[in-house]
Amino acid sequence: MINFQNIKTHLICSIAFLLWSLNYSQNLNQNDIDFQDSKLILNDLQESFQSDREECHLNSFTRTVKIDSPSKLLCDLCSCTTSSGSSGFGTLQNLNFVGIRFIYQNFESKDGIFNNSPSSEEQFYTYQAWANIPISKKIALNAVIPYQDLSRKRVNGNENINGVGDITIIGWYKHVLYKRPEGYNVVFENKDPSGHQFQYGLGIKLPTGKFEEQLVDRVNPGFQVGTGSTDFLISVMHNYSAKKWGIKTQGTYYLKSENKNEYRFGNQLSASSNVFYNIAFAKASLNPYLGISTDLYGSIRQFDEEIKDTDGYVFNGTLGAEFNFDRFNLGASYTLPVAQELFAGNVESQQRVSIYLNVLWQ
Amino acid sequence: MKLNHIFSTIALTLILTSCSTDDDSTGDQLEGQQGDITIKFDNAVGSNDFLFNNTYSLSNGDTFQVQTLKYIISNIVLLDENGNESTIPAIDNIFIVDESQANNAGEFNITLNDIDAGNYTQIKFGIGVDQDRYTLGAAGQGNFLQQADDAGMMWSWATGYKFIRLDGTYTDSNAADQALNIHMGSVGTSLDNYREITLDLPNTSRVRENSIAEIHVIADIMKIFEGSTTVSFADGYNQVHTNEVETPIIAQNFSESFSVHHVHNN
Repeated sequence: MINFQNIKTHLICSIAFLLWSLNYSQNLNQNDIDFQDSKLILNDLQESFQSDREECHLNSFTRTVKIDSPSKLLCDLCSCTTSSGSSGFGTLQNLNFVGIRFIYQNFESKDGIFNNSPSSEEQFYTYQAWANIPISKKIALNAVIPYQDLSRKRVNGNENINGVGDITIIGWYKHVLYKRPEGYNVVFENKDPSGHQFQYGLGIKLPTGKFEEQLVDRVNPGFQVGTGSTDFLISVMHNYSAKKWGIKTQGTYYLKSENKNEYRFGNQLSASSNVFYNIAFAKASLNPYLGISTDLYGSIRQFDEEIKDTDGYVFNGTLGAEFNFDRFNLGASYTLPVAQELFAGNVESQQRVSIYLNVLWQ
Repeated sequence: MKLNHIFSTIALTLILTSCSTDDDSTGDQLEGQQGDITIKFDNAVGSNDFLFNNTYSLSNGDTFQVQTLKYIISNIVLLDENGNESTIPAIDNIFIVDESQANNAGEFNITLNDIDAGNYTQIKFGIGVDQDRYTLGAAGQGNFLQQADDAGMMWSWATGYKFIRLDGTYTDSNAADQALNIHMGSVGTSLDNYREITLDLPNTSRVRENSIAEIHVIADIMKIFEGSTTVSFADGYNQVHTNEVETPIIAQNFSESFSVHHVHNN
């Protein structure tokens, strides 16, 4: 039996997302815009993402079965927050590169169903090989190959799982916007970039990481090396860079599919926006940045039934910097949750540290 | 904009093909298949896990502590989506849930073997011993008579079983650390305090041959004193034994203690 409700949700969310962005990019093309306009457009874009999300949630809530008490099952934390999601797929200025990234995250989860149940301290270490490789002038390929090393302290002892995680591959289509010369309606060959750039990404997350079903019964089902499912993602990115500063905004929607255990993590919307400042040196540059990000998760479904209290959200603030020298790009960031309600408060995201070193593609 | 069109088409294709079909549930061959299920009984006080010797407060300000907590659960039945009942041999379908025998997490597990495979949506069970079982006589009780006697869950054969045994101390405005004993049961055949309850499962419990289904039941001990009737120690509910007024109230209150928190299907 085909699940029409899911198809509908997926379609509405993704198409709305795509159409809005295409629509805006066309508008941008047709009209000569200055920065004031683009700010308005950005606002609109964010609002439209917001309404897409509400639509999705609305859909998933209407098919909620009546259940009386919360469950301790949690969501797709590991694969998304460590390999992608709000931590991003690339560098601040969308450079082409091959590199490595290290991400450390910790969580505190309720180890039981009661208010006075003990807590479990979780440490997630992720080591990624990642790259953004140009295929043509307008197309780039992005890949993230993670190795996960997760451990947690529980009352009954410590646990550790590690291994190759879920590989994500994204194809990006780059759309650079140009200034229209004064007095002309046609754009000439020697066109001048406006500083605005859109990128549209379509990606796939492969079930290369091991999903152990026995683990979902325990404290935090996000404590997994992989989700065991083939998931799709659709992403829109906007960049603006002036001489001294720039802004990078990104929204990504994840369509999760059912794994072989008939377990389906909740669909997810991740968005982030970072403002950076450019400090130029003779042969190098430093880009400190400040950002906000969010991850919104839908409910987990198993055997096609929704499991209560498995959805949630987290809003983060990020402080970071990138240093570009010679052919290298070195970055570091610190992310702290500002507001969150993950799985009815049973899981608390504490912090995220990310460090990366990339060799630029030439 | 041609590229954008191509892009949209690819997006649509991906989205459409990503939606899988659901080949399960109705297609499963369940006929003749049997599996095991574990019912976890987890005592609580409100939204906290129950602990021995912890001081708990009633809404009137009285406090109590508990040192012994046991109760009898019998006639466990699972009901599927069509109202069909699982069959479990009656003689073995009686258990003493004893907090002192619970695991580290405070859960007391009852495992039922050889349950017909199915998609169960409700659980029904009795609190105490029903009259049918009692009137089988001492010889008809199987091993349970000895088990109940060893656990201190019997008065005499003539009076019958104690359905719940809650022993501890209480403090109210009159005195501190007084004995608290709630020993509720039926009284022979003259007073029937056996209660049966049916609880909805928040998700379907899928009993299969090669999986371990689990139903996590919570019993809120506070409801014994503050259920549909609120009782106070000063009114005689510090010592509840065979009284024909008090025991039915405790039986009713205790039957309201139970809820299903979640299920697991592995």
